[in-house]
Amino acid sequence: MKILAFESSCDETAAAVVQDGRHVLADEIFSQVALHEMYGGVVPEIAARSHLEVISLLADRALQKAGISRGDIDAVACTYAPGLIGAVLVGVNFAKSAALALGVPLIPVHHIRGHIAANYLAFPELEPPFLCLAISGGNTMLVDVRSYTDMRVLGRTRDDAAGECFDKSARVMGLGYPGGKPIDDLSKKGDDRAYDLPRPAVNDGNPYDMSFSGLKTAVVNIVHHAEQTGEPLDKPGLAASLCRTVSESLVSRTMAAAEALGYAHVAVAGGVAANSRIRADFESACKAAGKTLYVPPLRLCGDNGAMIGAQAYYEYQAGHTAGSDLNAYATMEL
Amino acid sequence: MLTLALESSAKAASAAVFEDEKMLAFSIQNAGLTHSRTLLPMAEDMLKNLGRKPADIDRVAVSRGPGSFTGLRIGLAEAKGLGWALDRPVVGVSTLEAMAYGGPVLDGQMLCCAMDARRGQVYNALFTVEGGKPVRLTEDRAISIGELESELIARQEPWILLGDGAELCFDTLDRSQVTVFLAPEPLRVQSARGVGLAAMGKTAVPAGELMPQYLRMSQAERERLAKLEKE
Repeated sequence: MKILAFESSCDETAAAVVQDGRHVLADEIFSQVALHEMYGGVVPEIAARSHLEVISLLADRALQKAGISRGDIDAVACTYAPGLIGAVLVGVNFAKSAALALGVPLIPVHHIRGHIAANYLAFPELEPPFLCLAISGGNTMLVDVRSYTDMRVLGRTRDDAAGECFDKSARVMGLGYPGGKPIDDLSKKGDDRAYDLPRPAVNDGNPYDMSFSGLKTAVVNIVHHAEQTGEPLDKPGLAASLCRTVSESLVSRTMAAAEALGYAHVAVAGGVAANSRIRADFESACKAAGKTLYVPPLRLCGDNGAMIGAQAYYEYQAGHTAGSDLNAYATMEL
Repeated sequence: MLTLALESSAKAASAAVFEDEKMLAFSIQNAGLTHSRTLLPMAEDMLKNLGRKPADIDRVAVSRGPGSFTGLRIGLAEAKGLGWALDRPVVGVSTLEAMAYGGPVLDGQMLCCAMDARRGQVYNALFTVEGGKPVRLTEDRAISIGELESELIARQEPWILLGDGAELCFDTLDRSQVTVFLAPEPLRVQSARGVGLAAMGKTAVPAGELMPQYLRMSQAERERLAKLEKE
C-alpha cells in the first residue's frame, strides 16, 4: 500500500510516499527556517503562506522521486493536529481534496504519533509495545506505545516543551533560531557543571510530568545578570549545563517509566532527539539498564512527511479514516 | 467544460458547478462553521447530486483574494489539491471581481466592491458594466475609506455598493457629496457563482502556479518594516 503523506504543522512543508508503513519511496521537505530566522521564531502567518505556495510542488517532487504516478496512490494522509492552526489547515485541505479527487481513503494522523512512527522507518525490527519519549519544539511527552494505535501519555511537560526551552535560551544567548543545534554545538566546548541550574521538578501528582519554564527563566536571568553587572558569561558552560539539566530530567523519568512498565525497548522521537547530549545519556542509561534504545537518524527526528506516511499505514489498518469534512486542530490528545 | 468554483474569502463559504457558462448547482453556507469543515463536503455533495464524479471536473476556479487570510487559504488549498490530483488546471480570480460578477450587472451601472479590511481600510475595486459584464476601472487595492470617498466624488457617478464592507462604506461615506446605493442583500456578497462567472475566459494554470493575493503583509512583516523605517 502506497500512501502519499503531507506534513505542514509548523515550519516545514513535507510530502512523502511510504509503502506499507515501513519503506520510504520519497521524502521531500521544504524548510522555512530562512523565512523565520529574522523574527527569532516561527511566525504563524508567514508559515501558513509558505506552506500554501509550495505544497503542490512538493507533491510533484514526491511522486517523481518515488517513480510513481497519481494512479498508483492507494491513500492520502496528513497531519491534522496538533500544530499552528493556519499551517495545519493548508496540509489538511490540500490532502483531503487530493484524496477526494483520486477516490482513495483519507487518513488523518496525529503529529506526535508520526514522530513516534519515525522509529518504524529507522528500525524495521521495532514493534510495539515500547516506551517512547517524544520531544520537540512544541511537545514533550512520555508515551506508553501499547500497539501501533493504542497509546497512553504517561507524563508530559506542565509548561514549556524541551525544544522551546532550548530555543528561548538560544535566543537570549544571541545564538539565533532555531536554537537546538547552536546550543548543542556550543555545549561541546563547555563544562556541564559550570552553572548550577534548577532541576525541573514537578512534585505534586504524576511522577512522570516535567517542567521546563523555570529552567528557561534561570538561563534568561543568568544572561541578563551578566549583561547588567558586566561579569563574563561562560556561554559554552551555560549551554553545556543546560543540555545536562534537560537531559537528566528527560532520561531519569523515561528510565523510571521503562522500569515500572517492564519495557525492554525505549525509543526517542522528535526534533530534540537530535541533541547529542540527550542521545549519549540515553545510550549509557539504556546500556546500564539492559534496555534497547531506538533513536531515529537526524533527518527523521525533525518534522517530515515520511513519519506521517508510516503512522498512516497503521491508522488505516485500525480503520481510522476521515471524510471530506476533516478539520485541522491546534491541540488534540494523543 | 465542467468548472467547480469555490469561495471562502469571508464569513460564508460557497461552491458552484458550471457546465460552460451555465450554472448547474450552487450551494452556500453561512452558519459560522469553519470553511475547512463545510466547503469540500458541499462540493462533494453537489457533484454527487449532479451524477458527476470529481474526475469529471475540467477546471477548478477559486477566489484568490483579497479576504480573510485563513479563509482564502482553505479555498486555495482545496483548489490546489483537486487540481493537482486530477492534473487539471486551476483559475484564481479576484474576490472583488467575483463580487462584481455576482452583483447587479445591468449595463451602465457603476459598482463599488468593498470588503472590511480593518485598520480603517477597505479592500476595494471599482467596476462599470458593459454587455452584462463588469469592466474594471481600478486594480484591487487596500485603501482608507477617506481615499475611496475622494475618488468616488471625483468620478461623479452614482455607485452601487457591494461586499461585506458595503454597509461600512454606506454609513461612513459623506452622502451629501457622493450618491451611493446598497445592493440588495442576496446580490451583495461574494459567492462561488460570481467566482465561476468571473473565471470564464480566464487563463487556467497548473496547481503549483496558483497563488493568493492577500493585498496585505503579515503583521510580523509590517511591524518589522515599520521598525526598519524608524531606524
